[in-house]
Amino acid sequence: MKGRTSLSAAPGLDVDVATEPLIAWRAWALTGGREGTDLMLRPVAGRARPWRPREIAEAACKSARFHGGPHPGCTCGLHGTHGFEVLRKTRCPAVLGRVALWGRVIEHEYGYRAQFAYPQRLRLICQFCFWMRGPRADRPELVGWFPKDELVPICGEHLTLAARYGMEPRNLLDAAEVDGRLRDTYVVDALAV
Amino acid sequence: MDIGQPKRIIEIVPATLPVPGEIPGQVEPAAPEHEPSAPAPSEPAEQPAG
Repeated sequence: MKGRTSLSAAPGLDVDVATEPLIAWRAWALTGGREGTDLMLRPVAGRARPWRPREIAEAACKSARFHGGPHPGCTCGLHGTHGFEVLRKTRCPAVLGRVALWGRVIEHEYGYRAQFAYPQRLRLICQFCFWMRGPRADRPELVGWFPKDELVPICGEHLTLAARYGMEPRNLLDAAEVDGRLRDTYVVDALAV
Repeated sequence: MDIGQPKRIIEIVPATLPVPGEIPGQVEPAAPEHEPSAPAPSEPAEQPAG
């Protein structure tokens, strides 16, 4: 179903109405325990709220609490992108996936800002391989556990390279195991690419 | 992350939320007239917050 109305808060922007969630690309950071337990998707930037398993993620605006996210005149909202190329510029992504967006969604040139979201497909990525070759790069073999419960999926080649620059994990986990546990935790399918 | 200029607003009210265990508006099925021969496996009820 589609229709058009006017929205006083967003002059110049058309408003469509739909009943199917939009599916977009998104990258997350990942945290968890030393043994890869208590996995949690988190936004890659800032200190926004984590995406809790089996719970709807809801946008909240920290810069202006008097409006609900996403607001047309702000950058708030849960972000998703039309393609994965935009995400290759993301700082330290650990997980790549497809995400469902609904509620109020503002469509931009290269992506969306949404009121509600939940991941649909997920896979771990080596951030260095993703930067260089995109999502079709080889899958990471290991997941490094760092202080503050940061989990960093990484391939063997880049683990060696990262160690030369002082990036040494306190523990190493099998990436396939963490990948499966992540999908079980969020009850989602594997990303095909 | 730069996603460019806003183009339009979409108000999406999905009939079924894409969240595990979340089926809003689902109506409980009517009780069967006869007891099934074998008990159906039951799933734990989930109530996502948010």
